Formats: sequence, C-alpha cells, structure tokens
Amino acid sequence: MSETRKTIENVPCTFCGCLCDDLIIEIEDGQIVKNTNGCAISKEKLLGCNENRLLQPLINGSPVSLDDAIQHVAEIIASSRRLLIYGLSSTENDAHREAYKIAELVRGVVDNTSSVCHGPTILGVQSSGEPNAMLAEVRNRSDLIIYWGSNPAAAHPRHIPRYIKKEGEYIKDPKEDREIWLVDIRRTTTARMVNKFIQINPASDLEVLLTLRALVRGHVLDVDEVGGLKIDQLKEMAEHMKSAKYGTLFFGLGLTQSRGSHRNIDAAIRLIQDLSAHTKWTMMPMRGHYNVAGANKTSTWMTGYPYAVDYARGYPRYQPGEYTAVDILANGEADALLNIASDPVAHFPIDAVEHIKKIPVINIDPKINMTSKLAEVNIPSAIAGIECDGAATRMDGLPIYLKKVIDPPEGILPDREILRMIYNSLMKVLKK
Amino acid sequence: MNDEIVLKNGRVFDPMNGINGEIKDICISNGKIVEKVSGSAKEIDLKGSTVMPGGVDMHTHILGSKVNMARMMCPETNRHSPYLATKNTRGGVGGITPNSYVTGYLYSIMGYTTVVEPALPPEKALSSWEEIEDIPGLDIGLLPLFGNSMITFRYIKEGDVNGLAAYIAWILKSVGGLGVKVVNPGGTYAWAYGGNIRELDTPVPQWDITPRQIMHGLAEAVELLGLPHQMHLHPNNLGKVGNVETTIAQLEALKSVKGHKKGRSVVHLTHMAFDCLGMVEDGKPEWKYLASAGEEFAKYFNKNKHFTTDLGQITFGPVMTMTGDGPFQFSLYQLTGGKAKWANLPVEVELPGGAGIVPFNFVPTSPAHSLQWATPLEFALNVDDIWRCVMTTDHPNGGPFMKYPLVIAWLMSKKLRGEWIEKAHKLVQERSHLSEIEREYTLEEIAITTRAAPAKILGIERTKGHLGIGADADITVYGFDSEKLNLAANPEKIIKHFSQAKYTFKGGVQVAKKGVVGKHLHARVFSIHPRLDDGLSIRSEKEIADMIGKWYCHSYENYTVPARYREHLEIPTEIDSTSISA
Repeated sequence: MSETRKTIENVPCTFCGCLCDDLIIEIEDGQIVKNTNGCAISKEKLLGCNENRLLQPLINGSPVSLDDAIQHVAEIIASSRRLLIYGLSSTENDAHREAYKIAELVRGVVDNTSSVCHGPTILGVQSSGEPNAMLAEVRNRSDLIIYWGSNPAAAHPRHIPRYIKKEGEYIKDPKEDREIWLVDIRRTTTARMVNKFIQINPASDLEVLLTLRALVRGHVLDVDEVGGLKIDQLKEMAEHMKSAKYGTLFFGLGLTQSRGSHRNIDAAIRLIQDLSAHTKWTMMPMRGHYNVAGANKTSTWMTGYPYAVDYARGYPRYQPGEYTAVDILANGEADALLNIASDPVAHFPIDAVEHIKKIPVINIDPKINMTSKLAEVNIPSAIAGIECDGAATRMDGLPIYLKKVIDPPEGILPDREILRMIYNSLMKVLKK
Repeated sequence: MNDEIVLKNGRVFDPMNGINGEIKDICISNGKIVEKVSGSAKEIDLKGSTVMPGGVDMHTHILGSKVNMARMMCPETNRHSPYLATKNTRGGVGGITPNSYVTGYLYSIMGYTTVVEPALPPEKALSSWEEIEDIPGLDIGLLPLFGNSMITFRYIKEGDVNGLAAYIAWILKSVGGLGVKVVNPGGTYAWAYGGNIRELDTPVPQWDITPRQIMHGLAEAVELLGLPHQMHLHPNNLGKVGNVETTIAQLEALKSVKGHKKGRSVVHLTHMAFDCLGMVEDGKPEWKYLASAGEEFAKYFNKNKHFTTDLGQITFGPVMTMTGDGPFQFSLYQLTGGKAKWANLPVEVELPGGAGIVPFNFVPTSPAHSLQWATPLEFALNVDDIWRCVMTTDHPNGGPFMKYPLVIAWLMSKKLRGEWIEKAHKLVQERSHLSEIEREYTLEEIAITTRAAPAKILGIERTKGHLGIGADADITVYGFDSEKLNLAANPEKIIKHFSQAKYTFKGGVQVAKKGVVGKHLHARVFSIHPRLDDGLSIRSEKEIADMIGKWYCHSYENYTVPARYREHLEIPTEIDSTSISA
C-alpha cells in the first residue's frame, strides 16, 4: 500500500434519502479509489466525483475570479426586485441557513426541491397529520411492508436490502416473518424483490386508497372492481393490513405526482390513521435527494414553514402554488434566480424554463448541469459529504453528520462559504 | 471596563438571597453580578421599577423534530403572527410554535433568560444543536429521553443499575444533556404495537419488566451519578380521568430512592395539570365524571417532600399538544372523533412507539377543559412550599409560553380568577374549590415559582435564578412600582408588565427593552458530563456499541454530536461519578 493511501469508515453516502452511513472509502493520492458497501449509484457518485466538474467561476461563459463572480452576483441580486432562491436539497444544512439569510435580506422567495417531489406529501400532512415510521423500527418490528408508487430498486437501491430484508430484533427471519407488497401501475424492477405485486390502473390511486379505507372501516361497497382490482382482492388486502402486527407504508412520487396529488397522500394518511385503531401502522415518504428532508426541516425552524416561503413583506409567508419555484417562474414573477445544488432547467416544466431563460441566473453547483448552460454566473462548489462536512437528514428524520473525505479542487469552496461571501458583498452593495 | 453596568434604585425581589422588595443597586461586570464596579460603569436608574432574576422555564418544547412537525403540519397557527426582521434581528412567525429566532426574542421580551427543552430523542441531538444555533438570547438545557429505550430496558432487566448509570453518562456526554427525562415509562414502548401501560406493575411487552422497575432504576441511576437535576418524570396514564390516583402511586413507588444529597427531592413530576385529574365520587374514568384534584394533590404534595412539580397550566385557546406519550396523543386524536390532525414520530430503539402531536383548542364552554384549567390553579394556591412548585404551561401543550403573564395574573389576583370562573363552565364551581380560594401569590412568590425554584430544581442555582454575587447577570426589570401599584386589584397591569419587561439583561447584555429586541445573542447550552470509573466506562462503551450495532441502522461512530456544532455553545460541567464500580 502506498503511503498516501488511507481508508475512512462509516462514511455517509450523499445520494438518496437513505443516507447509508456504512461506506468504506479508500483514498489514494487525494482521490477516492474504492467505495465498499455503497450501491451502484453511490459508487458512481463518489468514484466519479471529479467528472463533469466546473473548476472556475464563469460570467457569461468566461472564466473570472471568485471575487469578481461574487461581486457580479451581489449586483444582480441588489438590482432584482423579486429574487427566487431555489434548490438546497443536495447540499448540507449550513448552506441552507445562509440561503434563508439572503432571502430575508433582499425580501426574496426561497423554495426547495420538495415543491416538485414530496410537496404534496406536506400538503397531505397539513390536512391530516402523519403517523411516521423510522427505519430501524421498521427493520426491528415491521411484518408487513407496502411500497406504493415507488421503485426503490432503481431510486433507493439499498432500501430493501439494508432496512427490509435484513433481520431485526423481533423479525428474526425476514423471509418468513415479513411480507413485502408493491402497489404500482407497472411491473418495475422492484416487483422482483417483493412477495406480492399489485398492479393498479394508472391514475386510480385515490380510488384504491379510499376503497381500502372504506373496507378497513367495515363498509360494504356495491362495486365489483376498483382501479383494476377485484373487490374481493381489495377486501383481502384490507383484512391482511388489519391483522398485521406492525405495518409500514413507503410511498413515492407515483403517489405524489400522479393524478390526485396531495389528495392521494391525504387518503393514504387517513387510511394509516384508521388502521391505527386496529393495530400498529406507520408510513414514510421515500425522499429522493439525500437532504431534501433536511431542507424542509431547516426551512421550518428558520422561517416557520417547510418550503415556498416569501419574505416580500419583511417576514416569512407561506403559499404553495404561489411562492413555489415553478409557479413563481411560470407566472413571470421572479426577476432573478439563485440556484443552489439543483438543476431546475433539466426538471422544470417548459413555461418555467422559458422564464428562466429571460432572467439572470446564478448557479452554484459542483458540476456542469443544464442550468449552468443558461446561467449568467456559474460558481463551482465543493461536494458536501465528500469535499466538505455538514449535516443532513435521512428520509425518516434522523440527522447524520457528513464527512469530508477528500479536499475539493483548488480554490473551490463549500456552498455555505460562497453564500456567506454573497451575503457580505450584498451588504456592501446595498449600503451604497 | 466599559461593559460594567450598575442598576440603581430598583426594588429587588431575589428570594434565593432573602431579598424581598428592597431598594438595592446591582453591579454587573463581565456578564456576572459583582460586588462593586468602577466609577466609569454605565448607570441605569431604575427608580420605580421592579427587579428580578431572569426567568427560568424548566419545561418548554421549543426545538426538535416534534416542534418542527407541528410547525410544518399547522402553518395556520403561525400565519397571523408575523414578526418583522429589523437591522439587528431576524424575522419570523410568533404563533403557538414560533420559528427558532422568534422563540428566543419572545422569551427575551418577557424577561426569560434560561429554558429547558425536556424531550430530546438522543439520536436526533445533532439537529437540536443546529436549531440552538438559531435560538437567540437564551441559556438552554436539554433533557434526553430514557424511559422507553431498549438500552435502558436491557440494563433494567439485568438489574444492572451501574450499567444504566454509565449509559446515561455516555448519552449526556455524547449529546450534551443536562439530565434525565422519562415519559410514560414502558407505555410508549407498548405503543409500538398499538398498546399502552397505565399501571405500575403491568409488564412491558417483549421485556417482562414494569414501569415501577424502569422508573425506580432510572431514578437510582440518576442519584448514583449525582446529577444536579433529579429524574424528570411524565408519568404513566396521562390525561385519564382519575389519574391522580395512579400518579400518587407512582410517586409513592419512588419514595425508597435514596437521594445523593440530604433533603433533595428524587423526582420532578412534570406538568401536573395533565397528571392529576380527579374524579367525582363513584365516578368512572370518563370525561363526564372529571373533577379537580388540585387540592387533593396539594395535600399529598405538602406531606411528601421527595418530589417537586411544575404546573403545565392549561390556558384557554388554541394549543399544540406534543408529548413523547404516543398512546395518549392517539387517544386525544380519537377524542376529536378523528377530526383533528394527528402526527406520530417514533424514534428507533429510544422511543419505539413514538411521540404524538395533535393541535387542540381548550374552550371555556367545555366542562372538561374548564376543570382541567381549574386543577393546577387550585393546586398551586394550596401548596405550602413554592420552592418545589414551578409555573409552566408545558409550552405549547397547556398554552404557548407567551401566556405566562396571564397565568401569573391568575396566581396573583383573585379578582381575575373570579372573572375567568364566570367565563368558564359552571361545573368549575361545583367540582373544584377554586372560587373559594382567597390566596394571592405575592411578588416574592412569583419570583420563586418563575425563577429561584426552577433554578434550584434544575441544579443550576449557582449561577441562575438569583442576583447574588457570582450569579450570571440575567436580570429582568419590570416597569412598575410594587409599592404604588396594587397588582391584585389591577390584573390587567400584571399581564401588561409581565408580557413586556422594561429591560431584559442576559449575561450583562441588554437584549430587550419594552418589547423591542435590540441584540441577537447566541444561545449557550448547559450540560453535565459525568466522569466515570475507567473500568465502567470501558465496559459500558463496548456494550453500547454492540447494542447500537445490533438495533440501530446507523453507526456507533456517527452517534455523538460532533464538536463543531457544540464547542462554541456548550458549557459543560464535569461531575465526579467515579465511585460507581464497573
């Protein structure tokens, strides 16, 4: 082994909401050369952390110094009247704090990526509450697991092997003691990993959930079929759910972003709440970005609200559908965009992207992405959890400390430091 | 030195030092109260003002995942309470669950300087430290939860109190805790399978141990370690009509615990309003048979000195109930006919069934709510020893902390109580003695129940809760002259002045003046780090690492809150617990 080779254990993976913290990372000459325990995506993310990097700040595509870039950013923000700050879910919590501070200073809007993923989940929670789950509890106790509108085999590759198919204190033989169902509109790769695949018709989630709820409550329904499922099959499902000792529902974007949206989530929550009168049931959104749960949390304690926050009046107001990034862009309201650790140009609807094209965009990201191509200013940053430390929140609310395992490329700073510099520079510009 | 201040001519209430309304100068230097200052010290004339130590809130839920869940689930509770940012302070919302910045500011405005968050799930502590970064103007203590942890259960089952003490010590050091909180021991664990435990000797599922053993073992471990704050207990059977009986049984069961200091209580019973519900004669444990047990419990309290308590006073109006007592929260949700929102947050291994959150509204037209309101007042007005009785609302359960001035006014003014008894349901007059009580708390007694007593009970009385030499210069100045103003006859003045201190000093720095916060001061965190015998420490760390490896799904190495989140905030006190053998 060469002298410059070292191994770091218990490294959290900053890709998906599982935040698996058991990676063993080997480093040689300051570069990651091996990732043991990580899934295929994790390996790609860590071993490929140098791919596609932007190594110098750019203004209109031309390399500039960091100071010049920051100065230019401050001028853009100072001359804007309705700044949108967006992203945050793929960076660590300290960067969030700086972003809210800027939003408050210039009375802008700050939103995170949950507005286009589990935002409807939060709306569901706001109408009904939520009996949550936690991952080790599921592993230790849950005897019936349902994935609904979620494909962990592709999006959260270790979710099933690490938390579900592993033995827990009271589930000694997960094969025997635990049943896994998948409800989806198509047979995904996850279907191969479960005991039962239940295929429903597209856009019928709400009906199926409401039917299950009615059946759990003991109502007799005068129909033969709902959402492509025979009523007898639904009855059997409801009975089975009632007789579980500890059930868990994991749900994904198939539920939040399909027809029904937050109504689907509300129906799912009410189903789980009704089941709670019979036995133990819990639920958990399958959060995608590794720190999207953290973005909701930091926003909540610092602004009072989980996303879609507007400081126009000097105090935070909350209005999803109005202060959410897609809406404020599609409505043509935002006159500048500060994007941190996300790629709205790649993911937003066309009318939102059309507006992004018209306004100055400041893009802070370690890598070159679609948004970089449109950005007036690009500032590269260190990758949180690889090149700088920080804190993030697992999909079930557990905070995890992220490690710095290698140095960032020369001259590249963490998001939080870039944002602090922007704030300080902005203070100077605003005083003038 | 230019940070020296002398507060002149104020009328001082400092019960810990036996000062009861004397005109007295107070000298401040370097954040501390000192005997004298140099001639260049800044002078503030407080003629006609009342001076007390900074307020100490020993039980308030201001941070953590349950508070964030409440904020996220109920944006409507904050929508109409904007709080504007200023040049020196941050903006936010100030409803039932204010955001972190405003939480600190609102406490400063009322003259509070020290608070304790009494429900910290240890494995989630990192988030709490991140939040504290954003809670200005306060000294904060954290009480980690132990009463339903599988690790606690293992030591209880093996009868290994030394091992349990070492686990507590490890947690306090790893997460920066001040003491030990126990919520519904065993009952919340039973909630992991939809159950609850209401009686002392009902076995916990899968473990074959009882709440009696869990509570007793934890209280013993706390005393073995010699922690400054006794076990902080939310008992079993909370919120059940007639539960004063089970609560007294639980307190009786703890009588045999030996305190590490002579004359010290061994348990703090928290939010007695929810723990001491009475029942009419020949009644059943149903809401229609509810009666106040305030006086009955005061009689027990006056006779039995082995415990202290706080009120958890119910105030009328919207509240946010949140406790580590998941099954109670579920029953509250069911009580609303399933109409309310209900969230449940399990904490793996440490609180398996989970904490619950239900927004609620206490209304004076309800007989049950009215009697629940009368109970803690009836209790507080019948206790002999206010040094063991602390004013709280169990924020935001009984009411938000912003309602403390109203509670203080109820305690101080029979006139105001009379007005509220009129507003409340008439059963208050039949099933409680509140309307017959003449007693009115004096200012000295208010200073005890909101300052001196909580500081003493928390074991931080060296620097908090008083104005003697060496104390932290946490000082509240109220803008009334107690010699000239008859407070009891003018309860609206009590509310006015206690809502808005004339000045609040925190560590010698003026943070608020007449409702305006002028300084955004970083919080500090008080923690206890017990030093263990090496042998015990080695054994315990190995056992804990094994249990974390087996039961959790994140690593032992990543459990401890890293120094970078703590070192600029934490003021650890090391205590010697090396006498506990391996």
